[in-house]
Amino acid sequence: MEERPIHPAAAWLNEHSPGAMWRSAFREDRFFLVLSVFIGVFSGLAVVCFRYAIDWSRIYLLGTGVQLTPARMLLAPTLAGLVIAVLVIHFFPTTRGSGVNQTKAALYIFNGHIPVRTAIGKFITAALAIGSGHSLGPEDPSLQIGASLASVLGRKMRLSRDRMRLIAPVGAAAGLSAAFNAPISAVLFVIEEVIGRWSAGILGSVVLSAISSVVVMRWFLGSEPLFRIPAVELKHPAELIAYVILGVVGGLASVAFAGGISALRPRCKALPLWTQYLQPAIAGLLIGIIAMLGAPQIMGAGYEYIDQAMHGQFTWQFLAILAGLKILATLLSFVSGTPGGMFAPTLFIGAMLGAAVGGAQHAFLPHLAGSAGTYALVGMGVLFAGFLRAPMTSVFMVLEVSGNYSIIVPVIVANTFAYVISRGLQPTPIFDLLTRQDGLELPSMEEQREEGILRVEDAMQPADGTVLDAEKTLEHATQSLDRSNSDHVLVRLSPSGWSSVSKQRLSEMAAEGKGETTLGSLVDEFRVPYLHPDHPLELALRYVDRWPLVPVVSRADFRLLEGVITQRDVLDRYREFGEG
Amino acid sequence: MSETISAEELEMGVASETIARYRLYLRKRPVMLAVLLVLAAIFFAGVTGLSRLYRAQRESLGNRWFNRGVGDLQGGRFDSAVTEFRAALLYSRDNYFYQLNLAEALLGMGHTREASAYLLNLWDREPENGLVNLELARIASRQGRTDEAIRYYHNAVYAVWTLDEERMRLVARLELIELLLRIGATTQAQSELIALAENAGEDPAQQQKIGDLFLRAQDYEHALTAYHVSLRSSPHNAAAMAGAGHAALELGRYPQAQRYLQEAVKENPDDTESAERLKMVQMVVRMDPFRRQISGAERSRAVVTAFELAGQRLKSCPVRPAPGSGPTLIDEWASLKPKVTEMRLRRDADLVESAMDTVFRIERETSIQCGMPTGADQALLLIAKLHEGN
Repeated sequence: MEERPIHPAAAWLNEHSPGAMWRSAFREDRFFLVLSVFIGVFSGLAVVCFRYAIDWSRIYLLGTGVQLTPARMLLAPTLAGLVIAVLVIHFFPTTRGSGVNQTKAALYIFNGHIPVRTAIGKFITAALAIGSGHSLGPEDPSLQIGASLASVLGRKMRLSRDRMRLIAPVGAAAGLSAAFNAPISAVLFVIEEVIGRWSAGILGSVVLSAISSVVVMRWFLGSEPLFRIPAVELKHPAELIAYVILGVVGGLASVAFAGGISALRPRCKALPLWTQYLQPAIAGLLIGIIAMLGAPQIMGAGYEYIDQAMHGQFTWQFLAILAGLKILATLLSFVSGTPGGMFAPTLFIGAMLGAAVGGAQHAFLPHLAGSAGTYALVGMGVLFAGFLRAPMTSVFMVLEVSGNYSIIVPVIVANTFAYVISRGLQPTPIFDLLTRQDGLELPSMEEQREEGILRVEDAMQPADGTVLDAEKTLEHATQSLDRSNSDHVLVRLSPSGWSSVSKQRLSEMAAEGKGETTLGSLVDEFRVPYLHPDHPLELALRYVDRWPLVPVVSRADFRLLEGVITQRDVLDRYREFGEG
Repeated sequence: MSETISAEELEMGVASETIARYRLYLRKRPVMLAVLLVLAAIFFAGVTGLSRLYRAQRESLGNRWFNRGVGDLQGGRFDSAVTEFRAALLYSRDNYFYQLNLAEALLGMGHTREASAYLLNLWDREPENGLVNLELARIASRQGRTDEAIRYYHNAVYAVWTLDEERMRLVARLELIELLLRIGATTQAQSELIALAENAGEDPAQQQKIGDLFLRAQDYEHALTAYHVSLRSSPHNAAAMAGAGHAALELGRYPQAQRYLQEAVKENPDDTESAERLKMVQMVVRMDPFRRQISGAERSRAVVTAFELAGQRLKSCPVRPAPGSGPTLIDEWASLKPKVTEMRLRRDADLVESAMDTVFRIERETSIQCGMPTGADQALLLIAKLHEGN
């Protein structure tokens, strides 16, 4: 039975009926956005509980005051280490490490699947570890907890595979944003380190989840920053010299830190299984001894001591010692497999180093130096850029935490030096290093930045007389065919568009007596897509196997031909690139 | 094989079909979202309850450590107080009073730099807080940043004080005046003192303190007024009497100064400074030929004595005349000498004027050339100043 055509008005009504609009509202892409908000809410709530758990662990294991007894300093991290080892080995094996590269692996290898057991295990073990005094931070575990929650929600919501792959970073951004109380930095970090590439499609969801989680976190924990920032100032441009020195020192410290992890972690993992039960405890004991010997500041995340360093409580010599001891303590905790993050220790080391450099310069060059707080703040950014190799995140993190834009120039100057030094001496970023040590290969934004991007202009060839105008007659066109080397010619259509036709076909049409007919009317049905010179070369692959000759036109004037590209051109270019 | 289905099997079939239908229904996205909303609400409520427990515990711990810190701060055990306030801040990081007390304890320990960092933070939050401004002023003053110190002191004087407002404003103003006097800004100090005096009560000790400050600021009139007020309530206050005597002396009111200084020395015989001043004042009163209620004979004797003294002074300190000027002072004195006798002076009032005029010029010139005189010459100089312009 023949179908009756539908009246346009009826079609519009069908499309915009309440039922259709209701169905449209729950299309997967929109559903994903709404789900992102829920992920943010749940992650925010989970991170709030995580903070409570850490604080309660600290109170009951280390006591309520700032001065810890020697017994607690030694016993708390040691005994907690034993418990953590048993939990990790027998119940929560996926909770080792910081959680950042594990989340990235979930994204690229396991289709976004992170078991809920990971979230539970990370919550318990990391809270115990940090609360007992291990030198680790809560941000990375929060990132993984958020990613795990997101993964669970995505599975329950039966998202498509493509969406499931993207759900982990959405949860990761939510978790990190709540833990750090810095949504912009969290979004950037997730893009830089977890996703590893800019993706406009995911950006909206990541931002929504980060904002909703930080709103929830602030509802419960207030909006006060992790540490109080004193007045930040740049008194004189000559102070930038001081920040250059800070950048160099920070870069070298980053290399030492990353090198330590790189050297020790595989060695610790290679030890017999029975030692894995003792490694966190031994790390805890050593940390306790260091603390007892005069540096209790190295225990735990250390935010209160960052606060004190910013307010000039310590001498510059002691600050430098603290920075070194914190590197050692974090190495011990991390390489022993204790679950926990490196964000907070990185900030601690950076703040101490920054304040130390500032203090030293204050002593030797008083006319150059700014306040301790300024140096500590820039120092945090320096370590972020040098050690975590997240330069964009580090700048925004400093801005978000301080709320002061006058600091941006010193931060950029110092970060640049730290990043360049770190990149030169330690080519592989720390998270990529950890991933490779785990036997995985994941994309890295830093490495992608280093790779050249091939574009259409790298492969296209000049149009060698293979272009005809649609207004010309077929007879006129066939006369100029001899000038062309190619088997195909391009026809510039009017008012716009391009067509491609073979010489043989033109000859056939001429033989059919269509010589006086305009080309445009003959070849209009053989339209070809066009490219622009700046398009990625991989885009050309979509067209060159279907159309033998693809025009490359100017973005300002689509009728202006910049060149032509064929499949051979594309393959030759890729081959050259591979050989190079 | 039996093809009949039992009632049980039929029931089970219906039940599983119902469950499958419900599962299908639950898989619908609107339903999923509604379930998520309910779960979020439940989770939110749970965390709210947990949060209350958490906050209550932290508040309790913070208060406990804070109270301990306050006790140690009041007892002067700054070291312990700092530790305790830091512990309190662990539980309430942004607590204004914890930070303020920590800053106080740090100042007590002499950790000025760290205290300053905390105080500046607090100042950013509440620029009108009196105590913060006062402490910052003290730090700036100790570090020689006088402009800053003055600014903070002014802020403290006009700031918001939650406790003991009047007393703290007074303290701030007094410290400001001390600073101004120390840096030699006497005019500014005088302005502040006048403002202070206007608002001060009748407390004798306070008025005496104000009088002392006016003296140091060289505002002797106001100093005398303040001492008067003090002595009204506390007539036997030796320090106020000494101060009043000093002020009166500087104002040239020697009889008044004599009265006050006599009382001061009587109340406090160990006050050697006042005793010296009294001696000088008595000399001035005795040697002043132009004082009231003096007989002609006494006047003549005073003039003769003064003239002799001036001559001796001139001999010990010859005044170099300006080039091209007229007769030297010594010539003048020598030419007048034969005329300056008691007899002549009793008859000739103009001679008294001329003689004393010469005496005054001698004392002035010699004080410039040879420095401040002592003893009787000093008395003559004071008499000269007293009668300047008369």
